[in-house]
Order: sequence, then C-alpha cells, then structure tokens
Amino acid sequence: MDRKKFIKSVGLAAAGVFAAPYILPTGRLFAASGARKVNHVVFLLYAGGVRNLESVHMVDGNLMPNLLSGNAAISNDIVNSIDPLPPSVLGQPLQNFGTLFKEFRYKEGPTGHYNGHTVALTGNYVDVDLNIKESPRKPTIFEYYRKHNSPQQTALNSWWVANTLGPYPALNYSSDVNYGAKYGANFMAPTSLISPAGFDVLGNPRNFTSNELGAMYNIRDFSDQTFRKSFVDGSAGVTNTDNEANLLQQFISQSYADAQSGLYNDPWSAGSSMNNDMYNVFFAEKIIQQFKPELLVVNMQDVDVAHFNFSSYANNLRKADYAAAHLWSVIQATPGMANDTVLIIAPEHGRNLNTNTSIDGNGRLALDHTAPVDLITGDQTAREIFCMVLGPPSVVKQGQVINTLYGESIEIAPMIANLLGFDTNIPGGKLKPYNLCEMGAAFI
Amino acid sequence: MISTLLSCSKEKDVIYDVNAVNVDDNSIDKSRSKTTSEFISIAYADLFGTTISQSDLLKLNTVYTAFGDKKLIEDRIIKNFLNNSNVNVPVAYDVDTSAFVNAAYKKFYNRSANAFELYYVKEQIRLNANLQPIVLYYGLMTSDEYRYY
Repeated sequence: MDRKKFIKSVGLAAAGVFAAPYILPTGRLFAASGARKVNHVVFLLYAGGVRNLESVHMVDGNLMPNLLSGNAAISNDIVNSIDPLPPSVLGQPLQNFGTLFKEFRYKEGPTGHYNGHTVALTGNYVDVDLNIKESPRKPTIFEYYRKHNSPQQTALNSWWVANTLGPYPALNYSSDVNYGAKYGANFMAPTSLISPAGFDVLGNPRNFTSNELGAMYNIRDFSDQTFRKSFVDGSAGVTNTDNEANLLQQFISQSYADAQSGLYNDPWSAGSSMNNDMYNVFFAEKIIQQFKPELLVVNMQDVDVAHFNFSSYANNLRKADYAAAHLWSVIQATPGMANDTVLIIAPEHGRNLNTNTSIDGNGRLALDHTAPVDLITGDQTAREIFCMVLGPPSVVKQGQVINTLYGESIEIAPMIANLLGFDTNIPGGKLKPYNLCEMGAAFI
Repeated sequence: MISTLLSCSKEKDVIYDVNAVNVDDNSIDKSRSKTTSEFISIAYADLFGTTISQSDLLKLNTVYTAFGDKKLIEDRIIKNFLNNSNVNVPVAYDVDTSAFVNAAYKKFYNRSANAFELYYVKEQIRLNANLQPIVLYYGLMTSDEYRYY
C-alpha cells in the first residue's frame, strides 16, 4: 500500500470511528459513538415479585391507580386492609406518559429475588448456581455505563439504591476481571444507613479544618507511597474521587441532620402508611435532587409479604404504586432531569398462579414465586410480569399499551445502554443486541 | 559408619563480631486485608483501649455494608471515633517526638518506623502546627497500611 492509499484508508476508518460530536437539545455535548436519546435513566425494580393478575389484569380491582388507568373497585374482602394514602401527585396515570408492556417475561432461570435483580442489572439470565454471597459474574449495567460511556463518568453519576441489605449490596459491580469495582456504581441502602443506629455511630464525626486536613493528607499520602499497596485495589468497593467523596460525606451529614430535625418523620404526609419501600424511593429522590445521576436503579420489595399475607401484598402493591408516581413527579421537578429522563418500571419476577397454604385475616391464601427452571413443568406464572417505559414524548411513545407477549427482562440493560448512547461500545455477545430487543417498540 | 563419624565431630565455637540488634518486625510487606469486623474492632481498641461492645459492632457492621465506598465509610467511622469524648488520643506531643512517632507506628502499623519515616513525620510535626496528634492518628488510621496486617 502506498502512502497516499494508507492515509486515505486510515482517514476513512477514523471517520467511521470518530463521528462528529453533536449537541443535544439540552445543550450537552457528547462524543458520538451512539446517539443518546436522553441523558438520564432511572430504573425502578417494582416491587418484590408482582403477579400480573393483581397488577395489569386487575383481578382484585385497580390496586395501582397511579400507574394504570381504570376505576375498577378493589375487592370487598380486602379493601379494608388497604391503608389510606395521600391523593395522587400526578394529574393522570403514569401509563399515559409512556408505553406499557402488559405481557413482559422473565423467561429463564430461577424466579428468586436475587436472581431477578441480577438478571435485570446484568442483562443476562442466571442459573441455579448463582452465589448470593458474591457479586454477579457478568458485568452490571453500571459497569458497562462507566466503562463504555463516552466521556467516561465517575461513580457519582451511577447509583444503586437498595431497600435492604442481605446480598443486594453486591449488585453494584461484578467479579468480571475486565470490569469490577473500578466501574461500579455508588451503592446505598438508605434505610440502614440513615437510621437511628446509623446516626449513633456515624452521625457525629470530628470536623477537621482545611489546614488540618492538609496536614493529614501529607501523612497519609506519604504512608501510602511507602506501603505501595492500595486498599482500593482490593475489597474497598467502589471508589470516589476525593472531591466527590467530600460531596458524599456532606450528603450523609445533611441526611442525618434532616433526620434529626424531624424532616424525615413523615415526608410524604402518608402518616403510618409510609413503608420501607416508600422511604427507599424517598431517599432515591434525595440522590436525584442532589446529584442528578445519569443512571440510577432503585428497588422496592415490600410486596414480598405475599409469601404469608395476600392482603398485605395488595396493600404494599398500592404503596409501591404511589411511590412510583412520587418518583416520577420528583424527576419532572428536578432541573436537569425533567424532560430528559426515561423511567423504566418492572418487577424482577412475578408470583405463582397456585397459592401456598398461608391464609390471612381476610381468608386469602398467600403466594410464592417458584417457577420450575425447566420452563415446562409446574406453575410458570412467576415468569409473567409487566414493564412500563416513561419518558419525553419526543423519545417514548405516549399512551401506548402492548397487550401481546412482548419483551423480556434481559432487554432492560441493553435498552438503558441504548438510551444513554453507549450500547455500540459494549463488546458483542455480552448483551442482547438492541435491534433484537422488543422493548424497542416503546421508542419513537 | 560415616554418619557415626559426622555425628561425633566436635562443634566449633564461632564468635561473630556484630552488635546486638532489635529484632522487631519492621516489615511493611503486609498482604492480608483486615475484614470489616477486624478493622472496626482493632480501630476501636487502638483508640479507646478496650473492646468494642457487640451492639456497637453490629451497628457499625450494618452501616459499613449499607454504603458502597468502603474508604469513605471507614473515614467516617474513624472521624466519629476521634470525636468521642472517651477517645484516648494525646493532646500534645511528648518532648521526645521520635518516641511518640515510633509508638504511633507500633500502635497502628504494628512495627517501628524506619529511619526515613521517622525523619519525615518528625519534620512534618516540626514544620506544621496543624499536625496535632489527633491529626496524625487520623492520617495513619485512614492509610492503606492500616487496612492490612
């Protein structure tokens, strides 16, 4: 190849790789590897195993009036178990702001909570050998985002907000050697951290002056250089820059101060109806207002009381519905995220058609979620879920309802990657290709 | 027969002309990171001279798990310890700064400071009035070496 030909071919290749930067309507500039549809995605894992029968099919009435259109009355035998909630914060049901997939599916693998969370966050089904004491083996959507988004973003832009501890803290990054903690999301379990017990041990730190901090950094940096082994390379979890760690410290301090001053006692005027799920979403909203993350995943799991008490399941389903609407209203009231955010709402899995033997005070039998992994035998209803995609009218089809079998759990991760414009940077074979995702039907 | 001969050979007395040396472990080749409970318990013992209560250990383990950036949360744990009225931190340096620094290294790193470390830290103490003992403790306890044993 002569020099002229070489330059020409390199130039063409470069043109293919480095498409010109473009400016979104919001004024932000991106190096265009994939076109961004929005600058923020919030994914609400809803809400601990929800059966389509009680949600989108409304067999006990409309238990989710903030999400779903319809005035079907709640069944007489359980209506007295439904706690009062404040009026909706929205003028119309959420489904009007986007697309509802009524027959979404969790197609493969065990229908356990950690399995369901892992599938949703990694975009890959898991098998029965999933270890709940370890991070997922395949990269999470947080790692794909932080590694492949251009320009690369810090952990302050990606959050995993869990309503409980147990195995869930492990979901902010995987054990994949090419990804891992370096690309992980900030994780917080707010109701454990911003709690009376948390305040007891973290709420009263010594405040050092900037001069004292300067002196301290001299000593610490000197020690770290001498030691030549970094804790962050080991098991220190996700790492924030010093400046961002300071912002996070201030956020935690402010949260304790607000809690101490009573601001968190009844933040939604829901009284004793405020449950753990609602508090978790409330704190996710605080993170949204403070940091305006590009990617935030928050979960709810209180409906899992369905294992023992069907009526409480219905009650918590309605609370989750209220929390989802509240979350959307805060997104739309947050400058920088309003009209530039897609909210995805989907349960991690469903629940069985057949009841177990636990009976509640209303005579209702309880529900487990145990679909056999052979996909054939037994009760497969726990694979039936819904998915709602909400966003600006220029991005998401408004008021669309898809009643047929459409979309599956492993499409959510590639969908997020596509929305934020980095799907084409992810190596092939790791996620279901976006163009094969039926969820794409939600978008303009 | 050969082995018998060898076993019977007289051992020679050999005297090496060297000075007596301190055999403290001066190594910084620590490879094992402390577990969460170890980190919290050891930090508490180092600062309060007593064992942490089970209820406080449980609370600290919970909040430790509830946040993803472990360096950040450890920093906050140490700052809360240092703000406790019962904390055992000298308010001023001893006249013998070398002894103080060495004692701090032994307390937190389980080894003596080497000559370079001793020189550097003493110079920082001499030159920077902001480096009070509590600030020195804070720096050493949030360093990478304190996280290992």
